[in-house]
Amino acid sequence: MKPDEIQLKQASRATLYSLLNLTMLPIVGFISLCLLYRKTTSNTIDRYYVLLGIKTNLYAAAALFLVTALMIFMGGFESPWTWVYVISYFVFVHALFILFATWSMVRSWTGEKLKRSFLSK
Amino acid sequence: MRETFTKGMARNIYYGGGVFFFLVLIGLTVDTVKGLPATDNSENITEQVAAGKRLWEINDCIGCHSLLGEGAYFAPELGNVYTRFGESTEAIKAFIKYRPVDGVKGRRSMPQFNLTDEELEEIAQFLKYVDGIKTARNWPPNIQG
Amino acid sequence: MMKYESQGIAKMYFIAAIGLFLGQILFGIIMGLQYVMGDFLFPEIPFNVARMVHTNLLIVWLLFGFMGSAYFLVPEEAERELYAPWLAKLMFWIFLVAGVLTILGYLLVPYAKLAEITMNDLLPTMGREFLEQPTITKIGIVIVVLAFIFNIGMTVLSGRKTVINLVLLTGLVGLAVFFLFSFYNPDNLVLDKYFWWFVVHLWVEGVWELIMASLLAYVLIKVTGVDREVIEKWLYLIVGMALISGLIGTGHHFFWIGTPDYWQWLGSIFSALEPIPFFMMTLFAFNVVNKRRRDHPNKAAVLWALGTGVMAFLGAGVWGFLHTLAPINFYTHGTQITAAHGHMAFYGAYVMVVLTMISYSMPIMRGQKAANERAQVFEMWSFWMMTVAMVFITLFLTGAGILQVYLQRYSENPESFMVVQDKVAMFYWMRELAGLVFLAGLLLYIYSFFAKGKEVEFVEE
Repeated sequence: MKPDEIQLKQASRATLYSLLNLTMLPIVGFISLCLLYRKTTSNTIDRYYVLLGIKTNLYAAAALFLVTALMIFMGGFESPWTWVYVISYFVFVHALFILFATWSMVRSWTGEKLKRSFLSK
Repeated sequence: MRETFTKGMARNIYYGGGVFFFLVLIGLTVDTVKGLPATDNSENITEQVAAGKRLWEINDCIGCHSLLGEGAYFAPELGNVYTRFGESTEAIKAFIKYRPVDGVKGRRSMPQFNLTDEELEEIAQFLKYVDGIKTARNWPPNIQG
Repeated sequence: MMKYESQGIAKMYFIAAIGLFLGQILFGIIMGLQYVMGDFLFPEIPFNVARMVHTNLLIVWLLFGFMGSAYFLVPEEAERELYAPWLAKLMFWIFLVAGVLTILGYLLVPYAKLAEITMNDLLPTMGREFLEQPTITKIGIVIVVLAFIFNIGMTVLSGRKTVINLVLLTGLVGLAVFFLFSFYNPDNLVLDKYFWWFVVHLWVEGVWELIMASLLAYVLIKVTGVDREVIEKWLYLIVGMALISGLIGTGHHFFWIGTPDYWQWLGSIFSALEPIPFFMMTLFAFNVVNKRRRDHPNKAAVLWALGTGVMAFLGAGVWGFLHTLAPINFYTHGTQITAAHGHMAFYGAYVMVVLTMISYSMPIMRGQKAANERAQVFEMWSFWMMTVAMVFITLFLTGAGILQVYLQRYSENPESFMVVQDKVAMFYWMRELAGLVFLAGLLLYIYSFFAKGKEVEFVEE
């Protein structure tokens, strides 16, 4: 089924929100994604990208905050080594999520799914 | 990119934005240069200090050290070395003067530059002048530089 | 298969660029070792000499790369032969001889002696970071660059004026104009530093971005077949954002050098925007490759183009933002964090864009549309080796930097510089290993030009 105009628009909006949530508007972007979810129907490209965005951001939250918290918990707040790991890890992995979200956005603009989707079915 | 956003608009952002912010930079530069005497310690630039700066340059000190945080990161920051050495130009001179010619085994070592006593004094005076520059928040954060 | 014969002049420029690149990396390896074995090659090649060679070779080979790229791209865009091919060839030899002599000067005589021989006293410009070249060399650079811009400018102005050509030309003119500040060297250190950045910052975070973006746009048009209108719009926006953020963004260098406090705000705010043009380059490269109308047989060039977008964003954008805000920079200024950023930014933005141009144009100058399959496989391996090695170099230097900041600057009992250096030595060892992988990647890259194999098949458009 070829996606219609509105679905395409919503798909690119979804990936934009996902990217914004990872960068300038954390939380706001995620809420927008959840609200957008209600406007989509199953088996459409916009639903696909809303779900991808939600999953990406949940994974990112886990990978960034959970792992970072764990590092701080295990390494101790006062140890310089904790910060060596936390900062390098956070910056690098965060950037990888941003790059992934960027690629998703570019794909959503042409109305196609990610070629190799490893975060969604 | 949407059709409503034309190439002409993009071009105007480039030329317009470029020219506008370049003019802003020039304006800020004029203001900065005018205000510098309040912080730049220029009242203490003597002939000795100027000669010291030249020595600093022709021996490429910046190739190992940083000065006010700029330069290489192989050897200590020297913007506050005068303070770190107990406000003693003699200590600075002695340090430079007695560097071993063949270095220190296995360690980083400053080369022996064979400076004359006069030159040593000039470079020490230069470093003293740099220490007198009033940096924001009194950078570096502490005496270690 | 070149459309214009004079495009072939680029080849000698690229060969010189790659040769000097190899030299740069060899000296990088030496310096990396000196970080952990302080007496290595001492006193024959002290660290500051090795560093001068390392950074100056980088600048010179990138300039060779930019010039070669311009000579290849401008005639095709302008749809005419180069205005004066003989001038381009003459300037090549002048620049190469001047460059090599300067490097030999660094290596063979003490720097103070070099200053004396070249009569630095007449117009003292030496001994400032990256601008270590003797004054006479600087004058030579000006002459070469002016002749180059004259040549390119006449070609552009009398030919078809594309957006790529015009943006490239403004970038090159900016490069020449801002280099003139290297001749201004007042006794007042604050003034000296302030205008030193007019060369260094306005080059790498200003006009070089224009050059980079136009080269990238050119290669992307060629390898993807995406409509020129679309690409030109992107190009304008990217370079527009580069200037809007980058010009006042110079202020992030005016935090701690005795300049007024308002730079803390201006520098922080505008340089926080500096990742935007680099992010847009990533988006741009991803977008046009995704929308490509053909699969170009030169897969390696496409990989380099995508890699440039990604690595420039990581190195210049992300690692720049990491320490650009004044309250953070207060602690990180002049530490290994700066070195980490510098390495990845230069590699990701400028090294990679030149290699992208070389990857695209070299086969064409050798009479093929793309290198043979085996050569491309080697080239792509070298891409991954160098790029991954650079990511690790950056991560290790970042680790060293964080530890350094904590122990030397942030801790309640700050330790002295050299004590801290010993404590972070493990990171320097790992950086050196990553550097050796980078060198291996570079050697493989050079080998890929000689690798024989099955010619690629493609459908002529």
